[in-house]
Amino acid sequence: MAREVPAGTADLVADLVAAIGADRVAAGGGARHLYARDSSIIEGGHSGPVCFPGSTDQVADCVRVAVAHGRDFVPRGAGTGLSGGAVPCNDPVVIATTRMNQIHEVDVERRIAWVGPGVVNLDLTRHLAGTGLHFAPDPSSQQASTIGGNLANNSGGPHCLAYGVTSAHVAAVEVVLSDASTVVLGEEVGDAVGYDLRGAFVGGEGTLGVATRIAVRLTPDPPVVMTLLLDFKSIVDAAEAVTGIIAAGIVPAALEIMDQKVVHAVEKFVSAGYPLDAGAVLIVELDGLPAGVAREVEIVKRVGADNGVGTVRVAADNAERELIWKGRKNAFGAIAHIAPRYYLHDTVVPRTRLAEVIEQVNAAAERHDLIVMNVFHAGDGNLHPLLMFDPREPGTLERVHAAGEEIVRIAIEAGGVLSGEHGIGLEKRRFMSLLFSPDDLAAQRALRDAFDPLGRANPLKVFPTGASCGDVAGLTEVPEGVWV
Amino acid sequence: MSSPSYTELLDLDSGSLTTCVACGLCLPHCPTFRLTGDERMSPRGRIALMRALQTGEVACDDEWYSSMETCIQCRGCEAACPAGVPFGELISGTRTAISRARPLPLHLRLGLWGLTRPRLLLLGSRLLAVLQRIRLLPRVPFLPRKLPLSGSRLPRRPEGDVVLFTGCVMDVWQPEVHDACEAVVEATGSTVVRSGPGTGCCGALHEHAGLHESARKMAEHVIASLSGDQQILVDSAGCGAALKAYGHLLGPSEAVAFSDRVLDVHEWLAEHGDSLPQVGLAGRPGVIVHDPCHLRHVQGAHGAVRQVLGHCSEVVELNDDGLCCGAGGSYSLLQPELAGAARDRKAALIREVSALSGAEIVVSANPGCSMHLATAGVEVLHPVQVLAGMLTSPDAVGSGSEGVSGATGHGR
Amino acid sequence: MNSMEDFRAEVGSSGPVCVKGGGTRWSLGGEANTTARVVHAPDGIDSHDPAEMTVAVWAGTTLMTLAEVLAEKRQEVVLDGPPGSTVGGSLSVGWNSIRRQRIGTARDSLLQAECVGADGRIFKAGGPTVKNASGYELCRLLVGSLGTLALTGRVILRTRPLPECSLWLRGAMSPVEVERSCYRPSSILWDGSNSHVCLEGYGADVESEAEGLAEHGMVEVAGPPDLPPDRDRWSGDLPQGAVLDVATGVVHRHGSTVAPEVDPAVKAIARRLKTNFDPQGRLNPGRDPYQISA
Repeated sequence: MAREVPAGTADLVADLVAAIGADRVAAGGGARHLYARDSSIIEGGHSGPVCFPGSTDQVADCVRVAVAHGRDFVPRGAGTGLSGGAVPCNDPVVIATTRMNQIHEVDVERRIAWVGPGVVNLDLTRHLAGTGLHFAPDPSSQQASTIGGNLANNSGGPHCLAYGVTSAHVAAVEVVLSDASTVVLGEEVGDAVGYDLRGAFVGGEGTLGVATRIAVRLTPDPPVVMTLLLDFKSIVDAAEAVTGIIAAGIVPAALEIMDQKVVHAVEKFVSAGYPLDAGAVLIVELDGLPAGVAREVEIVKRVGADNGVGTVRVAADNAERELIWKGRKNAFGAIAHIAPRYYLHDTVVPRTRLAEVIEQVNAAAERHDLIVMNVFHAGDGNLHPLLMFDPREPGTLERVHAAGEEIVRIAIEAGGVLSGEHGIGLEKRRFMSLLFSPDDLAAQRALRDAFDPLGRANPLKVFPTGASCGDVAGLTEVPEGVWV
Repeated sequence: MSSPSYTELLDLDSGSLTTCVACGLCLPHCPTFRLTGDERMSPRGRIALMRALQTGEVACDDEWYSSMETCIQCRGCEAACPAGVPFGELISGTRTAISRARPLPLHLRLGLWGLTRPRLLLLGSRLLAVLQRIRLLPRVPFLPRKLPLSGSRLPRRPEGDVVLFTGCVMDVWQPEVHDACEAVVEATGSTVVRSGPGTGCCGALHEHAGLHESARKMAEHVIASLSGDQQILVDSAGCGAALKAYGHLLGPSEAVAFSDRVLDVHEWLAEHGDSLPQVGLAGRPGVIVHDPCHLRHVQGAHGAVRQVLGHCSEVVELNDDGLCCGAGGSYSLLQPELAGAARDRKAALIREVSALSGAEIVVSANPGCSMHLATAGVEVLHPVQVLAGMLTSPDAVGSGSEGVSGATGHGR
Repeated sequence: MNSMEDFRAEVGSSGPVCVKGGGTRWSLGGEANTTARVVHAPDGIDSHDPAEMTVAVWAGTTLMTLAEVLAEKRQEVVLDGPPGSTVGGSLSVGWNSIRRQRIGTARDSLLQAECVGADGRIFKAGGPTVKNASGYELCRLLVGSLGTLALTGRVILRTRPLPECSLWLRGAMSPVEVERSCYRPSSILWDGSNSHVCLEGYGADVESEAEGLAEHGMVEVAGPPDLPPDRDRWSGDLPQGAVLDVATGVVHRHGSTVAPEVDPAVKAIARRLKTNFDPQGRLNPGRDPYQISA
């Protein structure tokens, strides 16, 4: 049943339409239904009018009108986030940046590109074909997710092991703040003097303002790339191999593990010839100059052998390499073949403790009678355990939540953190207090308030405020009602 | 608030609807989302709105209709979906439900009726062709700019090793494609018999428009008129996809057996084309391949096109994952704005790739795409026309074609 | 035994206070207010975990000491500074190494910081793992803040493997040509007539790249050129004796330099930050990160 729109909405819509045009505002029930959620399993959000600005000025207009009407605003890219960062609470104006998808300028010599926030990550790299450069952050959603969204979540991806997460690739960003002013943070070359406001803004989950133009750094394509697929009897063996590879003093471009259940699911989709009988596979990508890559291939093979590797398949060409990666990057979606819903975690643990943590995670899932699947960025200890479930089965949600909380506690007790790359959003804010003291959180609050003193930018995200989202009771502490 | 009668009307399999985990990986593969950036015009959004209508969370209003009616049904999302959501079935079920509630516009209904009367269609087309020649016919966007006055000039065989499915509008408007197809297949040593006007239209456009019952009847007619066990070759990707789906449309085992006989002509040539003459590497023209959605996303036969073209040309890719050009059967009539925008995007990409690669020839294995792109000034050949050109004069492949920059009339 | 509790007690919760490391860049961004009490962060290395590629270290530790310990396991950190510089000092200045293209930026290297705030309370920024998207990026604000937001006691830093081989070359090739003919060199400097390039990695790769550069007249030299002590932002021309760091746009030069003009809108955010973190202005009074020239 559609929810009543709050009083004053008609005036708000009229002002938005007057400011940016009728074809850029969607206020119907259908739009509000769709923009109430993202790729996370959080439901219960409530969207106000949805705007599709095409320029920085139009974003500023949206912010100005929203705030004048006493509404919050929520920036949104492609809506592929996994922690509910783009889920609107309390009928805010949703600012979708999907039409700000122009690649404004590419400077090959200086290795900088200015792009709109709505440019799809992979589109930029495709656009750069032939220049010998690429955009290094490659989250698994890269074919769909926008660079603005990547910036908001400080996204990672397999190759951030060697190249760093999004923040390392954002030189400068133009931002509309909640007072509708526009400011450029950072510098095209080198660091801006003063506080690193650019660095603080990246990863702000849309709570600090709206990114409207982004200067990204471009990375030269490596002269040599080798992709290896190693299979192991167990995920613990694979994890030990990862620890061994890092300890050997090399930093591969990527180190990814998929367990047997994941391998079965993705093989069905991509037919990449993944070994179906292995307990786990490890994808290792090595890149750089030829002699170094050759040396590192030998090191990886030796460490693999020390940990009982079965076969080592080396991708013969680009096509084979792309197929191996296609499987990895479609893993989350492909898992829907196993059960209709999954609850994905994103904890990071010290990479030397991967094996023991995975055993604990698997045991926790088993205690709650749930199937768990593991596919993750092993090289930086970034776990992605997925709890599979069918929400229609009575009592399942309770078990999923209990197991989920245990997984978070296991990671933190092992010296880990809540999120490696998906962010906190709505989903993990209730866990923030497990990791941070009230004084820690107060310092973070001081940062946030400096950017958004009005508290209008995507509120209720990140901090464990206790306030509920919309009319869904108790989202913070008793989230059962909002998981579907 | 949804109208209860409509909620009853839309009765999609809730299992299929919940298979979507909303990961969003379909978004970039959806031509209408690409153009609008609007979730309502995306596969993920459409699935959510189908579900929401069935659960009564949204009303059955113009916004909802527009979301469903703007889908081109290219099924690019389905190929991209790692969860295997049967989007084609969902949207087809939805369109059938809509067609019951909201009749199609009269001109479209007339047009679709005309397709079921091949001889009438031929007569009508010749009449239009004459009017075109004497400049009495205004420019109509979807009509070829030079309708043919006569049909195929090849003599008909009474029987052959394989059947060439000739369909409806293609037989009338692009007889030269069928001729080229026949010539290439016969060059491999097999004989071709044409299905002819008696077999008629495959019903793809009717199914596409939600006219499920008409499509069903036409399918039954096609099956009945093409008894025997020869393979049935199709040179129109849209028709091929429809014929291959008869088993699904009709269910009974003879329909499945029929569908098993159907091959896109390129699939057949990939198997039998070794005897075709090869062109030396030096003499090969660059050929830009535009993949019809129903060839790539539905039939998965786009690899065969490349394999076959590889005999005589350098295949040049558009590298857009086969994003739809916006033709979509009758879509360009019903949603001219979106169809035009999708087409212009594709045409711009084709020109860009042409400028970079120097390739002048553009091919598509679907007449709908060719006619649609022609309205943006891009001359598109069928791959078999390139092959046929090689048979007659290997040196002259593609010469004389206006190709990418061409703004001349359609056909030859 | 060091403890944050002791450091907190030393900082206290009232009165102006400034933290001093090696004092190598003590007047950068303005002279510290002479009435402010001077405190020192604890020193010492807590733990180095080579397989984790992180090191936990007290802010008062000198870079030299840290480098020696890390080198035993063939690792290094990004931080750079004149002899005597400390970890805390170098972080609060936030300057990048001239080898930034290999080892990354100072701002990317700080994973976790335990600090004493202006209210005399201890807070933690970031987390111990090499990847972390939990909450706001406080660590990035601390780097380059000249200690004006909080005083850092203990940090966890990312480490990097030491290169097997390291080689400096000098010659008349232009920096753009050097960049084009090498794959991600560690450093490219330009002194107005010569490029100075640092190649690092596996021996065979470094050798083959060096051979390529030698064909363009680049010759091996002992190390980087002497860098003059002052810094400026590259604006298109290079004064006599100055050296440009191509990756960061920093000009190392002799002579007075001025801080660049900053957009008032940026300064407004900075002012709110300072007010929110240190409403009384008691932390490192007199120092202002916006008074640094580059």
